[in-house]
Parts: sequence; C-alpha cells; structure tokens
Amino acid sequence: MPAYEFPGGITPPERKDRSNQSPLRNAALPTQVTLPLKQHSGNPAIPCVAIDDRVQVGSLIAQRDGMVSSNLHASVSGTVTHISENAITIDADGLDRWQVLPSLDWRSEDHQTIIARLDSCGLVGLGGAGFPAYIKAQIADHHRIDTLVVNAAECEPYITADDLALRRYPTDIMEGAQMVARLCGAHQIVVGIEDNKPEAIHALREALSHFQKSDCQHPVSITMKVIETRYPSGGERQLIKKLLNLDVPSGGLPADVGVLCHNPGTLLAALYAVRDGKPLVERIVTLTGDAISKPGNYWVRLGTSVETLLQQVGVANQQLHQVIVGGPMMGLPLSTLDAPVIKTTNCLIAATREELPPTPSESPCIRCGACESACPVQLLPQQLHWYARAENDGTLEKLHLFDCIECGACSYVCPSYIPLVQEYRSAKQRIRIKRIETAKADHAKHRFEFRQARLAREDAEKQARRQARQAQSRQMSGSSKVADSATPVVDLRSLRIAQTAAKAAVRKAEKTLARAAAQDPSQRHDDLETQLATAQENLKAADTRLAEARATMAQQESP
Amino acid sequence: MSMMHASQLTTKSLTPTAHLMRWVIVATVPGLAAMTFYFGLGVISNVLLAALFALGAEALVLKLRQRPLQPALRDSSAVLTGVLLGASLPPASPWWLIGIGVIAAIVVAKQLYGGLGQNPFNPAMVGYALLLVSFPTYMTLWSPPQPFISENLWPQITGTLSASTLDALSGATPLDAFKHKGETVLASEFWASQPLPEGTLNAWRNIALAWLAGGLLLIAKRIISWHIPASMLASMAVLATLFYASDPSHFASPLFHLTTGAAMFGAFFIVTDPVSAATSRRGKLLFGAGIGALVMIIRTFGGYPDAVAFAVLLMNLCVPLLDIYTVPRPTGQPKSQQHVKHGDSP
Repeated sequence: MPAYEFPGGITPPERKDRSNQSPLRNAALPTQVTLPLKQHSGNPAIPCVAIDDRVQVGSLIAQRDGMVSSNLHASVSGTVTHISENAITIDADGLDRWQVLPSLDWRSEDHQTIIARLDSCGLVGLGGAGFPAYIKAQIADHHRIDTLVVNAAECEPYITADDLALRRYPTDIMEGAQMVARLCGAHQIVVGIEDNKPEAIHALREALSHFQKSDCQHPVSITMKVIETRYPSGGERQLIKKLLNLDVPSGGLPADVGVLCHNPGTLLAALYAVRDGKPLVERIVTLTGDAISKPGNYWVRLGTSVETLLQQVGVANQQLHQVIVGGPMMGLPLSTLDAPVIKTTNCLIAATREELPPTPSESPCIRCGACESACPVQLLPQQLHWYARAENDGTLEKLHLFDCIECGACSYVCPSYIPLVQEYRSAKQRIRIKRIETAKADHAKHRFEFRQARLAREDAEKQARRQARQAQSRQMSGSSKVADSATPVVDLRSLRIAQTAAKAAVRKAEKTLARAAAQDPSQRHDDLETQLATAQENLKAADTRLAEARATMAQQESP
Repeated sequence: MSMMHASQLTTKSLTPTAHLMRWVIVATVPGLAAMTFYFGLGVISNVLLAALFALGAEALVLKLRQRPLQPALRDSSAVLTGVLLGASLPPASPWWLIGIGVIAAIVVAKQLYGGLGQNPFNPAMVGYALLLVSFPTYMTLWSPPQPFISENLWPQITGTLSASTLDALSGATPLDAFKHKGETVLASEFWASQPLPEGTLNAWRNIALAWLAGGLLLIAKRIISWHIPASMLASMAVLATLFYASDPSHFASPLFHLTTGAAMFGAFFIVTDPVSAATSRRGKLLFGAGIGALVMIIRTFGGYPDAVAFAVLLMNLCVPLLDIYTVPRPTGQPKSQQHVKHGDSP
C-alpha cells in the first residue's frame, strides 16, 4: 500500500484488546434519559416539547437554532419530565415504541431531499467534533469534491467503536459512503484504516469484493488503504496527507483540496437516517478500562447516564480512579458520573489508578527537542511553551500556534512532564477572547464614526438648504448687487480633494465587503457594512458641500 | 476543565529528564576511560572533584534562592556539567582550579540565569573559557601520555607541585605544537622532526575515537539528534580540506583537525547541550556549522590552539537569532513565508 508520510507522530500503547475481544452488544434500555440541547458544534437546539408530553423513540424534542446546530430526538419512549436551560429529561415507559420517518432510496431521490433528511434526523459527525452532517453534505455547492475519505484509522488508544462497527456492518458503512459520495459529487472513496484492526480490514475486503460484483449499485470506486499504526494518523489532515499526499492549507478545510472526511459511525448513522428513517438516537460507545469487568462496545441510547452504563458493565467502584470521555490522548476526564452519553461520546475509559497514574510533577524544559520530533504539524512546541508562559501572543501567532491540532503527542514525549497541550489550549483561548474584544471595540468605534458621518452629512445638507433659501430671497428682493462679502471664501480645490477621497473610501469599503462576502457567504458582515455606510455618508456630505460651494461661486461671479 | 496529561499512559517507560542526563554521563565513559588510560588517574580525579563541586555549588545556590533542593539535584544536570568540565581540564589540574571553573559554570552561567533550562550559554564551556583566559599556565598543562598512577598525582590535585616539576611535566598537545611550529617550517619538516613525545598523536587519536563511540551511543539512543554534531564535524572537515588543499605545507590535514583537540568530545557532548543550542532542525544544522567554522578559523588564525569553547559560546549568542529565522513551515502553511496577521482587517 503506498502511503505518504506525515512528520512526527508517536506510538503509545494501544490497549485496544480490552474492548475489541467481545462482539458488539446492546446496552440495556435506560429508565430515564437526559438529553443535552447542545450535543454538537454551534448553537444549542430549542426545545419544542412541554413537560408531560408523551414521546416515542425518534420524536423531535428540540429544533436546531440557526445554521450550525442540530435537531434533537427522544431516545426512549415515555414522558418528558423536565426541561431545563440545558437539557430535556425523559422518563422511559419501557415500551420502546419507535416513530420513524418514511424510507428514502438514496439512489433515486434528489440531493435536497436527502440533505433535508440528514438535517431533520439531527445527524452530526460522530467522531468527536460533532459538526452537523447536513452542512458537510452541502459543501459541494462551494467546493469541488473529488474524494470521500472514510476515516477508519481510529488511532487513539483504547477506542474500538469504529473497529467493531466495521466488523459488524461493513456493507452498510460502504453503502453510507456511496450515498455521501453521491451527495458531494466525489469520484472516489478511499478508506484509511490502521493495520491494527485485521478483522475490520478483512470484513471490509469482503464487503468490497461483494460490491465489485454489483457494480451498477455502487458507482463510485472504493479503495482501501491500510496504513501503519501511528498516532495521530486519524487526524483529518494527517490522514489526508497519508492517503492522498495532499496538504490541507492552514486555517482551511479538507474541502479546499477536494476532500471530504467522514468516520464510519457517521456514515452508518447517515444511511440509517435515509434508508430506514431513523433519527440519531443511539450510537456505539466503547466501554473500557481496568475498572470494569465486561469491557466492549455497546449500542447506547443517547442520554443514558454514564453511571448507569458503567454499572451495567460491572464497574468496581473501589478501584475506579477516573472516567475519561474519549481517548486518553485528547479526551477529557469526567467531573461527575451523572453526565449523559451524547452524540459525540465515542469512548468511556473507567481507569484504575495503576492504569492511568497521575502525572509526576513537572520539571524545567531543557529544550531537548523530543516534542519537536513528535509534532505532526512541524511546530516548535518548546518555543511555543516558552512564549505561552510569557504570554507573548504576537510571537505565538508567528510560531503558528493556531496550526496546533492539540493531539498531545508533545506532552506524551516530554521528559519533563510539561503539560504542553494545556498551555497551548489556554493560550489559544486567551488570544481568541482578545480578538473578540478587539472586534467589539472596533465595532463600537465604527458605529460612532458612522454617527459622526451622518451628522456631518445632515449638517451639510441643512446648510445647503439655508444657502439656497438665502440665495432665493436675495433674488426675490433683487438685492443681488450687494456683494455678499460676508460669505466665507470657499476653497473649491480642497473640497474637490475631499470629495475624491470620499469616493475612493466608498470604493475601498465596497471592495472589502464584496471580498469578505465572497470568501465567507454564510457569515454576516455588519461591521463592514457599517464602514461602507459611513463612507457613503461622508461622500454625500462632501458632494453636498461641493455643490453648495459651486453654487455660491457661481452666484458671486454671475452678478 | 483541564485535559489529562497524555503521558499518564506510560509513565514508567518514559525517559524523564534525569534519565537523559544520566545517559549522557554513561556515554562519557569510553572517552574518560581512554583519557585515563593515556593520561593517568588525574582525569578521574578531575571529573570526580568537578562533579562533587558542581553538586555542592548547585545545592548552595538553590538554598540561597530558596528553591527545593531535591528535584534539581536529582536531575543530574549539575553532575553532568561537572563531568564535562572535568573531562576538558588537563589531568594535572589542582583542586582550586576545578573549583573556580565549577563556580563559573554552575553559579554564574546556570543558576544566575534561572537554573536548568534557562541558561543562554553552555555552562561547562563558560567555566572552561574563564579558566583558559585566567590561568593559561595551568590550562595548557597537558602532559604527554604518562603512567596510570603518576607519582605526582596527589601534589597535582592539591596544587602543591613545585614550579620546576610542573614545567617538567607539561608537554604540548598536537594542536598546540602544530600551531607554534613557526611560519617558515614546512609541515613535512615539522612532522619529520618528531616534535611530540612518543605516542602522543596516537593517544589523542584513540581518545577522539572513544568520544566518537560514546557520541554514537547517544545518537543511537536518541538522546541527542545527529544534526549538530554532523554539521559541526562536516563544516570543520570542509574548511580544513579547503585550507589543506590550498597549502598542504602549512595547514594541517582534515583528519588531524578532527582527531586532535576537543573536536569529537565537543561535537557530541558539548555543542549538543539542548538548552543553549538552536531548536529547529534547520537551526541546529546552522548552529553546528557555525561552530565548526569558528573552530577552524580560531585554530588556524587565532591565538588559541583549540577553540571549541569559544566557538560554542559565540554560537550560543546567535541562537536567539537562529531560532527566529529558522521556524519551520508547519504542514499546510503556504510555501512563501508570509506571516499572516490574524484579526487584521485589510
């Protein structure tokens, strides 16, 4: 398999065999679910049910708010018992009655219908970021997509959810990939998978050879590339480099190089949403860690509390040291076991103290460069560390802090146990807040300038009207002989210059706004519009003053 | 909410700072053994004394700075500085000379700048350079190969050796001898006159090979990267070849330059000190090449026969600049290095 290299990377212990030994199972139906309104990137959804409403599995309970947001559905049948600012609680009736949408045939339906279905089913990326899937499907409107990459690398230690999904549903996942490829107009599908999942690779191979026999059903060619196991090959940018030898531009999207990335779980859920009309109400979660006795992968209803789930798989409370959501490299420790499983929960690690011991205390950086050779983006982590401590934000940006993908490889190799990634995260956060504040201040300034310009324009117009009235009255009284010596000598030239400058300013503001709008049509550009309006007001004022001055001149000369 | 630390995954198999330091100390064993073999126990006494002084000095300053002693002393960085300084001193160095060198290295060059990781200059070389300019008589006191246990060992250490014995003991190093051979003497005549005591050249060559072996061990263990030693030795070799090719009768051969003096020891153990070296890979290559070039220039045209210490310190000065101009292009950044200003409206 030809694979290209991304720089750096590490090979931490995998510890995947703790959860990939047993088949995929269903977790018990929860008696109560708590469904947070924000389970995705973007705005929280808005509840559309009331307390005591009866719901079925798949009933819409909250609607998306705005573009980047996602619908939310009941994951059990029962009664809505509590609606708070953040979440909706449903008590299950144990009947598990489903309410599904009509089935669609993705091969014959038009794109809009399918995209609308993905939207209404509340589908988001199940890999971790939770980006609404319907927006991703619309990407073909703005970008030409050549390749759909199925990100089956699953490079984080412990996690085996995609592995088990691929073993169990290889044909469904590939069909989902075909559907998404059709939606975005991709010509090929490339599956990237790490070589530590032999069973999934085998299952995929069989599914693919089966596909080749029925070509017409699956028009887009699928290739599978088995890559060596190295963290973070499952990072979007790293995987695209590895499979296609393309560099996603800094600050850009895979779509900028004609690629769309989806993980297998998302494709499976997308197919179920379209083919079976099933909204996103359950997902596969890896339950693992030394503190539980029945590790494995489970279909879990969204909203099930972590505690209930762990009890089902036999958690030893005395040994439990911490629960981590996600993988050990990029995941977060849970502060409470009350937390529910949400759309982006791919793994829960119930770890003992021996398994994931606390980090030893940090010692000074000796600039050994281990982090630099581990960094998959070729940053200089030790320099970033230095400037992050000093809060030298300018230099941090010059050192490309915002290219950091927060994979944690640097922290992992650091011999001084410096929590490098946390430092970068908080530095990024600090810089973002600063930018927002600057933008706010700019906005206020621009609004003030607009007001000034409007007042100036009104002033100029008022004066022009007064002048006109005076001129008229003078003509009426026929006292034109009285040379109006009181009129100030007008400087026509400087007024003309002012008018030209104002015109240029308007043109510049128009251009800036047009460029910004073309680059990012989904965004609003209030501030730039204010700036344009200011420039226009200034131009009007300049025009009025010039016209008035010309009129005065003409009057003075004509008699 | 803070992210867990990823190294929780494998705390035990990791190589923490102290292990790195200890590995470097282990890698000095072949070189030190070879030096001891040729120059006697004075080498060992130098290293032991310097290491002890270094620990003491570090502890003293930490106490004055009211910092915890344990972690800093246990990371072995002070001991390593002592070992490296001790290894670069002539075998007959008296205790007070070692003490002054160590104080300059640990107290001034390291702790006064903020301790481990903060020093802009290589501490061992600061100590060495200070001694070299302040006590030239003692610092050039390289004896020819001598028996394992010299009868003067104790007086040497205590510094009570009489001046006449001292003179009798000292001999020129090959670099020194060649440097002062006189303008008119041709290289061939110089070598024909057997200017050095029997076996001196051979001793230096074998010591260099032993340092090389230790250095290769460090590279194999990934304790140091190959960039700095390779570029330093390469730049020395290139310049030496150029000089030699232009006038073989007056300039020494590249092999001579690489195998005598501190070239090998410096390339693998001194210039690779990560704290005071450049950080990016390109920066490291330039840093090493700069040191190699300076060494050759000072050796050939300067006043000192060996120049590694001065070259290292001079290049330490350039590190901030190198670090700024050799930032690598992250994956996905445009090829032309335009610094994109964020949050700047056009």
